[in-house]
Amino acid sequence: MSGGIDTRVCLAGIELRNPVLGASGTFGYGSEFEAFFDLRRIGGFVAKSLTLEPRWGNPPPRIAEAPSGMLNAISIENIGVAAFLEEKLPRVPDGVAVIASCFGTESAEYAELAARLSSSPRVAGIEINASCPHVKSGGIEFGQDASLLAELVRRVREATRLPLLVKLSPNVTRIADMAMTCEDAGADGISLINAVQAMEVDVETRRPVLSNILGGLSGPAIRPIALRMVWQVSQAVKIPVCGIGGILTADDAVKFLLCGASAVQVGTANYLNPLAALEIAEGIQSYAERHGFARVADLTGALETRSV
Amino acid sequence: MTSTGRDSRLPSRIDAQVLENRSEGGNNHRLVLSVPDWPGAEPGQFIMLSAGARAAVERSDPLLPRPMAVYRGHAPAAEPAAGRVEVLYRVSGRGTQLISEALPGQRLRVVGPLGRGFPEVESDASAVLVGGGTGVASLYELAARAVARARTTVVLGARTAADLMGRDDFAGLDIDLQITTEDGSSGLRGLVTDALAPLLRRVSRPSSTTVYACGPTPMMRACAELAESHAVRCLVSLENNMACGFGVCLGCAVPARRGGFALVCQSGPVFDSNDVRWQDLP
Repeated sequence: MSGGIDTRVCLAGIELRNPVLGASGTFGYGSEFEAFFDLRRIGGFVAKSLTLEPRWGNPPPRIAEAPSGMLNAISIENIGVAAFLEEKLPRVPDGVAVIASCFGTESAEYAELAARLSSSPRVAGIEINASCPHVKSGGIEFGQDASLLAELVRRVREATRLPLLVKLSPNVTRIADMAMTCEDAGADGISLINAVQAMEVDVETRRPVLSNILGGLSGPAIRPIALRMVWQVSQAVKIPVCGIGGILTADDAVKFLLCGASAVQVGTANYLNPLAALEIAEGIQSYAERHGFARVADLTGALETRSV
Repeated sequence: MTSTGRDSRLPSRIDAQVLENRSEGGNNHRLVLSVPDWPGAEPGQFIMLSAGARAAVERSDPLLPRPMAVYRGHAPAAEPAAGRVEVLYRVSGRGTQLISEALPGQRLRVVGPLGRGFPEVESDASAVLVGGGTGVASLYELAARAVARARTTVVLGARTAADLMGRDDFAGLDIDLQITTEDGSSGLRGLVTDALAPLLRRVSRPSSTTVYACGPTPMMRACAELAESHAVRCLVSLENNMACGFGVCLGCAVPARRGGFALVCQSGPVFDSNDVRWQDLP
């Protein structure tokens, strides 16, 4: 709130110091960033997606570079919900909003995860990962089928009173329909987008570059797609939207806010610059100052669409 | 996996100024960076280096930084402004090409020091360091420190004499230096293992001898097998693609002997060769 600008935003009932969160799968369990900056200077983070039991990911190669982006097929490698609650969560400083991301192959698993995570006062909200593009079952199966998605959101809704976000896949025909489905099923907010399903080939070896063949494309390459989808979803639902997809700079983040996002998640940018989330949060504040906004929250939906 | 090195220093992100960046013949280059407040590094630790000089507009293509061994610059800076990090690298693609075009005065983003390096060489032991290709860069500081403590032999290998990295620096150390090239243009014609095999056959005290290897995966695997056949411990510094270098992208996972995976950037890059499931490495 320094400089006279109120940076606070509210995302689906979660009070955030500023609108910048670390995105799930790119921010570890938070502690990995403590050498670089005080986590209390960003809004918070969405932790690496959790499963009921610890889970190993795919064999290497797991990542590859792509034009203005990267491909990954990690496959929800994580320490499991128990270790997260016992070992990781207590290490996060007070005042940092931690949103827990849930992943499973059946809606009952998601519901059990949400229930267990809701027992901790340190979990500020739940994000359903209905969109991981590179696991064989679960995740994207829910995100691409409206009736499965509705059932999943309903089951998790019954299991938790915490603010409930659903992270959507861009790999659908009509993203707004999926968002409305989540809203009707009781979601408090929509996070979008997850990675775009993609692949790449090494012509010398005539092999796919990833062991999983398919992966998820992330980074600036997908940002205009993400922005379009955030705009469409913001027009279609009343619940808040959290914008994700290739945000590298504060200007990128502001675009998502203008298109209707209440907050943003910074993902791939954390890899190349561990201070990215912090610098983006500070940059949004500067933008608000320069453009005469008293509150960062007023940037949400401030897109000027009258014809020039 | 068992950790082989000492606790690493806390990493930071610094826009480091290029002091020197020059070709050393062939595709090999030497980069010297001014890194204020550099905390120093253990032998074997690495940095992530932006793929090209920083500009007002954030570069998005290529997007990811490149992992690079700290070649020299392991001592903490005597005063904040005096921090220096030296890197030897080979231009092998667009990212390293852009790094090679960075001019003195321009800035590269550095994140580091990262990973767990080599444990201290035991006194009165025998150390055999084997570097192939760009892997040589991970071994210089280890060799420089080992000299005073142990009988130190260094084997450096490359395809041709022009591809050899850091040869003159190593030649300046009080070590037994052996060179191999695949085309015979310098030293022994063949692979580093052709020099390592006779060295290991002459080892009298296997339990106090350690092989330290860094280079292409097939080379390290061959070194590990040779060492094992002579009951000699082998530590390897693995190379891998990675997006972050500090444990969040999970891209650099390698199959671990105990099951599952280990991250090169976090558990490594230095591993006991027995902890790696070599047959499952791509």
